[in-house]
Amino acid sequence: MQFRDELELLRSRISILTYGVVAILCVLVFGFWKLQVVQSTHYADLAQRNSIKEIRLVASRGKIYDRNHKILADNRPSYNILYLRNEHTPHTVEETVGMLVDGLGMSVEDLTQKINRKRKDAAYQPIMLKEDAGVGDVAFVLAHAYEMPEVSVEYQPRRLYREGELAAHALGYIGEVSEAQLRDSPDLQPRDQVGVRGLELVYDAVLRGKDGSRRVVVNNSGREIETLPDEIQPIAGHDLFTTLDLDLQKAAEDEIGDRVGAAVVLDPRTGEILALVSRPSFDPNHFTSGISATEFKRLNDDPDKPFQNRAISSMQPPGSIFKIFEAAAALESETVTPLDTVHCAGSTTLYGKSFGCWKPAGHGNVDMYEAIVNSCDVYFYNLGNILGIDRISKFSTIAGLGRKTGVDLPGEDAGLIPSQEWSQRVKRMKWAPIETIFVSIGQGKIGVTPIQAAWAMGGLASGGHLKQPRLVQPEQLRKLDFDAPPIRIEEYPIHEDTVAIIAKAMWGVVNDGGTGAHARVEGFDVAGKTGTAQTVNKSSYKKGGENEDHAWFVGFAPYRNPEIVVAVLIEHGGHGGEAAAPVAQAVLSAYYKKKTGHFNDVTAEKVAGLMSTKP
Amino acid sequence: MRIRNLWHDFDWALFGAILVLSVISLIEIYSATKNSPAEHSAAFRQLVWIIIGIVILFTIAAMDYHTISEQIPWLYLAGIGVLIYTMALGRIVSGSRSWIVLGPMRFQPSELVKIIVIVAVARYLSELRNVRYVNLEQIVKASLICGIPIALVALQPDLGTTITFLPILGFGLLVRGVKPATLVVLIVLFVLALPVAWTFLGQHQKDRIINFVHPENDLKGSGYQVYQSKIAIGSGGALGKGIFKGSQNQLGFLPTRHTDFILSVVGEEMGFAGVGLTLGLLGFILFRAVNTAQTARDELGLFTAMGVFGIYFFHVLENVGMVIGFMPMTGIPLPFMSYGGSSIIAAFTAMGLVISVRRRRYVN
Repeated sequence: MQFRDELELLRSRISILTYGVVAILCVLVFGFWKLQVVQSTHYADLAQRNSIKEIRLVASRGKIYDRNHKILADNRPSYNILYLRNEHTPHTVEETVGMLVDGLGMSVEDLTQKINRKRKDAAYQPIMLKEDAGVGDVAFVLAHAYEMPEVSVEYQPRRLYREGELAAHALGYIGEVSEAQLRDSPDLQPRDQVGVRGLELVYDAVLRGKDGSRRVVVNNSGREIETLPDEIQPIAGHDLFTTLDLDLQKAAEDEIGDRVGAAVVLDPRTGEILALVSRPSFDPNHFTSGISATEFKRLNDDPDKPFQNRAISSMQPPGSIFKIFEAAAALESETVTPLDTVHCAGSTTLYGKSFGCWKPAGHGNVDMYEAIVNSCDVYFYNLGNILGIDRISKFSTIAGLGRKTGVDLPGEDAGLIPSQEWSQRVKRMKWAPIETIFVSIGQGKIGVTPIQAAWAMGGLASGGHLKQPRLVQPEQLRKLDFDAPPIRIEEYPIHEDTVAIIAKAMWGVVNDGGTGAHARVEGFDVAGKTGTAQTVNKSSYKKGGENEDHAWFVGFAPYRNPEIVVAVLIEHGGHGGEAAAPVAQAVLSAYYKKKTGHFNDVTAEKVAGLMSTKP
Repeated sequence: MRIRNLWHDFDWALFGAILVLSVISLIEIYSATKNSPAEHSAAFRQLVWIIIGIVILFTIAAMDYHTISEQIPWLYLAGIGVLIYTMALGRIVSGSRSWIVLGPMRFQPSELVKIIVIVAVARYLSELRNVRYVNLEQIVKASLICGIPIALVALQPDLGTTITFLPILGFGLLVRGVKPATLVVLIVLFVLALPVAWTFLGQHQKDRIINFVHPENDLKGSGYQVYQSKIAIGSGGALGKGIFKGSQNQLGFLPTRHTDFILSVVGEEMGFAGVGLTLGLLGFILFRAVNTAQTARDELGLFTAMGVFGIYFFHVLENVGMVIGFMPMTGIPLPFMSYGGSSIIAAFTAMGLVISVRRRRYVN
């Protein structure tokens, strides 16, 4: 019986144990129930994110061409290294950074800063670690795809400005979308590239494509197993054909060289901008893969302000080029006749003050033709005095000065043409007639931008037709289904005779022993006018210094029914005839050579020679 | 014992449960390895092991467990010898010298030693007569029987397998009877031994335990594997994604999926239903062992069945707990489910013992 009892005792102990076992098994089953029934959607989502990766298919931006279909802004293939925060990874941020330092050749601080800066963004947004990565970087990341699922490579077509600095101010550049832009525009996504300046900014909607996406199933080592069928193809942006002529642009930029200045070349018949130069320039390619802070600071702090688009925003006193408009104002108001003469003895006294001519010896008796050809200041002091500020102001404003031209570029300056009303309104003082004397030679309270000078000159030379200057013609945009108002056309009344007299005199400036002889192009009837605008009191300036005069030249050709108009401003360049006229000459002769088929030495003989070699 | 009797007395329900588990196991091992060239014959090899296991199960079941118990002294010594041989000349797999190679087969002797230790402990405990509680000397002796092989396994070092021996002793002593005061002392001693044991742990074992205690390190190391396992199981939902259709499994996000994490594959591809069936069958097998212990005709049978129960209960608790993050990660396989010849043979042998005890439960 002892035996039996003992066995019974042991059996009873087993019964107690079984309750504990039941309890534990219940806990385990509960664990599965919680995972698989209660939280199953959550884990299904995690499983999907494990295995399905969304790849952004970056759309290529539209290319920008010149009028002859030469590429100015192109795209090239590039790769970005991204940090994916929603990827399941065994690494902390610090570990990932540690593994990348050598592979990507970046510092720990740099990488950490890049990640920390975007830490607050939504986790599904990848963080850019290295833009425009090199082949070695890409190879490194791909080779370590298994160890580092959190780092990935993205393909991105990237801007390539084929001509570097050339026409940089017209083209502008692109950059990563800002947070403010993201808030305002629902179309934009983080890391999108958008236009920041120039045409890239103005026509961003045209140029920017629409990114696509592709979902792929990946295995644990990141290898793509299959592509899901819901791929959305990227839509490339539209190409933009500008009115720029690369050859003329190059001619102007080369001629201005290292000097500070601007040039605008227009076709007055259409308003098309053939060249738009601002020097010094910058290479927009610096911005395509994130400009370095030091490089940006260098450019931004440069006293010559390379980012400023002087062609549309450098407002300077026009100097003697203003005499053209004054002369036209006088003829149109019938204040004087072309044959009225003024005696220039080197200076004249008005309102009790002596005003000197640029030629101290004087020009003797000059009529309007001679006054324009020789740029006689005394003639125009007297003419301005007779006209009065309001007649000068009214005509030059109608002619296109002192107001925005409406060019399709951001940051245009309005310039300034003063009037009595302006003096009252802005200066809160009565306009003093003596101020008119300064204005009459383009000095004093007056400011003109190069594009205004070209626009107004073109309008005057073509008989009062002002066509809104454009780098992209609206018809082209409408073809792409974009809203584009037609270009603004202004017509103001001007006598044919007035135009003829002015044009003839300006022809004389270049071809008849005048101040603009350096703009002469053999065979092409160039008309022009030089300007030399004092920046400060004459007594304190030294040549080449920051107090030296601004050099201007405006011109057009041929002098009857002009096809091309050029305005050149060389800041602190000295004399307009010496500093600015040669730039116009370079542009006009390039234009003339192209027109007559002699550009780039492709002469008729050469073409004939090439053809004769064919059987 | 005639064959007709074996046929008649045999526990067909228990065997049926084992067969169903084996089928699930084969399906999911195939599913887990079909994409990996290095393991593509795993399911076939598992089938071979199962067939060998069935033969062994029937053989053991046909034998009288007393006969086996009588052979224990030399079996025990042989087991120790094999463990020493393994320590000296075994094959190192993932850091442990725990394998021996016999021709085309690799074998983990510690798995079979478990069975020997079950019977040895059962025999010792069953021979303690007329005592309500074991005394200290008996505890020490029982601990030594269990402790020598434990020490040898621990030196391989194979910590996961080492701790699976402990339930044999623990359950055996508890059922044999430990005075409440002694139990308290033993628990205190166990707790005091923990810091000492900690210093013997390898770094990855420490990491596993740290990660279990601090889930905020969840995405590191072993935490990553458990995390992927939970994703697999959770994403399987109630009915699973379908056999061969689990993305976590098929795309390789699950770690050691045909061995330690086979239940995650079941969870992902067969859902809560599949897990429920698997756990139900495992639970049935465990309770069959308990029931066999309770109905055994003598102490030897009772402690033998209890030892089998203890060791496999612990396997199930640890493995199942691990795949859902309830237990720290160890390399303990899920009986009848995980790929691996040694553990399959050991489990089938153990079940053979249970059936052998069960067949004789009625007093003649």
